[in-house]
Amino acid sequence: MHRPSAQEFLQALLETLDDLPTDLARRFEEILKNGGADRSQALRQLFEEFAGD
Amino acid sequence: MAGPTDRRPSVSSSRNSLVTEKVQRLVMRAFRGIPGEMTVDFGKGDSMVIYGDNGTGKSTIADALEWYFTGGIDFLSHEGRQHAVRYVGGESDEVTSVEIVTNGTLGGRVGIPDERPVETFDAIRRETFLLRGRTLADFINKTKTEKWKALVEILGLDAIEDLREDLQRARNELRKLSKAAEEEVRTYRRALASGSGDVSDETVLASLQQICSALGVDPPETLEHVVDPSWLTTAVGASAVVAEGSDRESLLAEIKTLSPPAFDKRAGEAWNQIASSDRAKLLPRASLVREAKRLFETGSIDKGHCPLCGQKVDHKSLAKRIEGTLVDVMEASRGLEDVRDAIAQLSDELESAYRRRLSILNRAGTMGLELPPVPELPHARLRDCLENLAPITIDAITSAVSEVRKWDRSAGTLARKTAPAEPSTRDTQLVMLAGLCQQVNAWRLAEKKAARAGRALELAERVFDAYQNKQKEDLTELLKQISRRVAQIYATLHPGEDLEAVSVEPWTAKGVELAIDFHGSRQRPPHGVLSESHLNSLAIALFLAMAETFNQRIGFLLLDDVINSFDVEHRGRLAELLADGFSERQLIVLTHDQPFFEHLSRRAPAWRRLEFTSWSHASGPRTTLYETRDILQHARERLDRGDIHDAAARARRALEELLQEVCEALWAPLPFRRGQANDKREIGELLKGLRRTLKERAKLQLESIEPLLKNLEADVGAALNVAVHASRDRPGGSDVRAALERIAALDDTWSCPECRTRVWHRGNPDAGRCKCGKSTFPPVRLLTAP
Repeated sequence: MHRPSAQEFLQALLETLDDLPTDLARRFEEILKNGGADRSQALRQLFEEFAGD
Repeated sequence: MAGPTDRRPSVSSSRNSLVTEKVQRLVMRAFRGIPGEMTVDFGKGDSMVIYGDNGTGKSTIADALEWYFTGGIDFLSHEGRQHAVRYVGGESDEVTSVEIVTNGTLGGRVGIPDERPVETFDAIRRETFLLRGRTLADFINKTKTEKWKALVEILGLDAIEDLREDLQRARNELRKLSKAAEEEVRTYRRALASGSGDVSDETVLASLQQICSALGVDPPETLEHVVDPSWLTTAVGASAVVAEGSDRESLLAEIKTLSPPAFDKRAGEAWNQIASSDRAKLLPRASLVREAKRLFETGSIDKGHCPLCGQKVDHKSLAKRIEGTLVDVMEASRGLEDVRDAIAQLSDELESAYRRRLSILNRAGTMGLELPPVPELPHARLRDCLENLAPITIDAITSAVSEVRKWDRSAGTLARKTAPAEPSTRDTQLVMLAGLCQQVNAWRLAEKKAARAGRALELAERVFDAYQNKQKEDLTELLKQISRRVAQIYATLHPGEDLEAVSVEPWTAKGVELAIDFHGSRQRPPHGVLSESHLNSLAIALFLAMAETFNQRIGFLLLDDVINSFDVEHRGRLAELLADGFSERQLIVLTHDQPFFEHLSRRAPAWRRLEFTSWSHASGPRTTLYETRDILQHARERLDRGDIHDAAARARRALEELLQEVCEALWAPLPFRRGQANDKREIGELLKGLRRTLKERAKLQLESIEPLLKNLEADVGAALNVAVHASRDRPGGSDVRAALERIAALDDTWSCPECRTRVWHRGNPDAGRCKCGKSTFPPVRLLTAP
């Protein structure tokens, strides 16, 4: 049984979602790569950033 | 790990070597109930059924495999039991170790202290290989959330689950921010609406244009003009003198918009109920537990010490406690999630209400208007309760809200009384217009902020929902695979019973539950309709199905006394299932049930059989596969090191075991003894039985070995007599060495020179053979004359 990493899982998911902001997948990847205890904060900021003005 | 020859289980995982790793040899030294060394030979990775009464030491095999492949023995992981990995009988010359030989790369040797890093087990830690009777129904008895957690770990999806939790935290935070932004917008809308209700760009612009026209001011074309400071200065041009009067009007207008914070008593009661529960008391430790888990996973901890406080602690038990606590924390956290938001919002509203009224009070003071002091509100206390998970005082909040309502009324009355009686001058009206424009500006900024928060939330919700759904779909698919196999195995164990459609099903977003159809009704969980033995069958079916579905490397399965609650019929069915349904795997089955042992042996003739006959404090477990040669070799080694006493003790044991096996094989007539006492027969008694048998059936052989037997009898009284070794006239090393050679000579008499197995080992004594069949009893050259 293939056990995907969190990154692979998320990547596969994002590919199925239409009309996502450009570059969102790459930014997710950066956050997952950097790790850190405040990952949820980084994710929140990412969503806010892509919400635009 | 002990010694330079250590080999550790390979860290790297190879998906090509699927489920092929089988145990070929297990060597235990000074481990649990084994004082010296014990070897179990599994051939090329053959299945084996191991029988022994309670207390004969057979579970030591399960303990050794569990220790080697998981780094710990679960039931010894509790405080005060860890030392029992070592030989339990006291001092032993051997260094505690377990050595495994496999047909792959997982073999090696582990000793105490076990210094293998956590990563050692990465390749195999998700593999299922051990099921014990005492923990048989552990998985079945877990809660839905615990089952989910356990499955997620077995499936290797915990990193995915961690990310889901982080996405959920981010989503929840955005929900709060969005809610706060919308509340701000509502406040401005209420101020701007002035009772008309509808507030939009168009209506606000139309009102402003109407006011401007009435005042003879150029009306703004768009709301962008209104927020432009230069337009405001040019069009309105308000003076400081007018501002004072206008401020009072503005203050009165603001007081009119005041409304007390809303408080739903039911939310408070719900919070108090949860905050008073035992589980909620775990939550303050949540971040500590998560940090501990993170440290464990990253391996950045000092082995043997708590990563948080630095105290000495058992690594395995701490890991288990962290996992259990995390599950409890998660359930408590979920219960609190909804009510927490309501209380947090109430705290925010109370604080906002207090600050707003304080601001009005201060502004009124600068205008010479004396308003009553603002009542103290319990928002800080509420925050403390939120942080400390303490119950809130509902009466205090109700009373505070009532006080706010009174203050609003009296402030409004006072402000109206002191407001200028005369109608506003044009300048006053202009300043009011300026104030209105500022409010419009603030409202539009709040709208933008709320819209942005809403978009961020929408994106987060979308990603999170899709993530959670995909995770659930993937797990559901995996559960379907397991369920099909569980149902097959269960039906094999319980054919023709009205229990159908056994399955493992997802339960809400974060739970997993076992289910079964019972006379047309779906039972989830099945505890209400299944007997203990049926639940145990379900546990065995689940264990076998999960191992089949998910194991990638470990090709052996170990079942330790799992049939205790089964009747004879079901024991038979399980034996058949194991023998016929899992032939591609290596099964190691331990049991104290002789009929089950016999049944399995008959059904699976290719399996190896091992019987544990007894256990003694001095010599540990005894099996039907005696190892006289190994014991002799160890005795020689002790003698070479000058330890004559120990060498003599080992030599005596070797002689005992040799004579016991020969007497057993020859069916030598010995006085009746019950149970394990047969293993404790003395050498003199055994020699008597041997001589009597040989005299009847192989007289010439007896004559040929009689001198050897007499010498050995003398050895037992002197060179091999442990008591004599303590005396002044103790024998020297040469006497013991001579005795060792005589024991080896006797052993040769009964051994096949070709295959080295003992002649007459098991079976009918009238047609005795060695394993290869080339040596017979009685030996042809020593046949008794007719």
